[in-house]
Amino acid sequence: MKAGRGKGLAAGLRATVTGEVGEADTAIALGSGDVPVLGTPRLLALAEAACVAAVAPQLSAGQTTVGTAASLEHKRPSALGAAIEVEAELTEIDGRVLRFVFIAYGPGTGEEAVIGAGTVERVLVDRNRFLARAGIVPGG
Amino acid sequence: MAMMVCRVDRLGTREVRVIEIRAEMVANVWKVVVAEGDTIGDGDTLVILESMKMEIPVLAESAGTLSRLAVAEGDVVQEGDLIAVIE
Repeated sequence: MKAGRGKGLAAGLRATVTGEVGEADTAIALGSGDVPVLGTPRLLALAEAACVAAVAPQLSAGQTTVGTAASLEHKRPSALGAAIEVEAELTEIDGRVLRFVFIAYGPGTGEEAVIGAGTVERVLVDRNRFLARAGIVPGG
Repeated sequence: MAMMVCRVDRLGTREVRVIEIRAEMVANVWKVVVAEGDTIGDGDTLVILESMKMEIPVLAESAGTLSRLAVAEGDVVQEGDLIAVIE
């Protein structure tokens, strides 16, 4: 019934996702603003993807994680074509709650390259039971 | 994941141990597993709450008879709300 803790989950697990700002990633395209730069929702999506990737290999069959909370600072704009890299690290496991920190880099070096940072909280759930609670038939 | 309040009521000459099970957090009642009158074993699941996308089973920490079920599926419980009474 309960989603148990994955066997290999431990603080320190990390993953990085990379991408390039395209037309679909802009604030205009996402509806979150009216400028043609990386939209904040897209940055959060990249951060969550990195968190998912960090722990996915350690989850038991049938388990997944779902997002429950996030905080994000989006510090610098990223123009179309800019290369983006987001690193996430699992920092705390509290029962079924997993807490991550992430940092996002754009072009440049050192502090100038940091375009954003924040925290993400995700919880371990049984995939099929979670979908059932959401009214979705697994595999349907 | 539930608060328990235990008291002893006198029914005539008989003492009845009454255990109130209360919510520890704000949550949705997703599933009710038991019904009033059911015989409950220690550790049985009474209801399953949902909070922050997680299932949170509310377990009986003592055996007895479910004398009152105070929630229904779809209800929202606040911290401290009565969920069930076991005698």
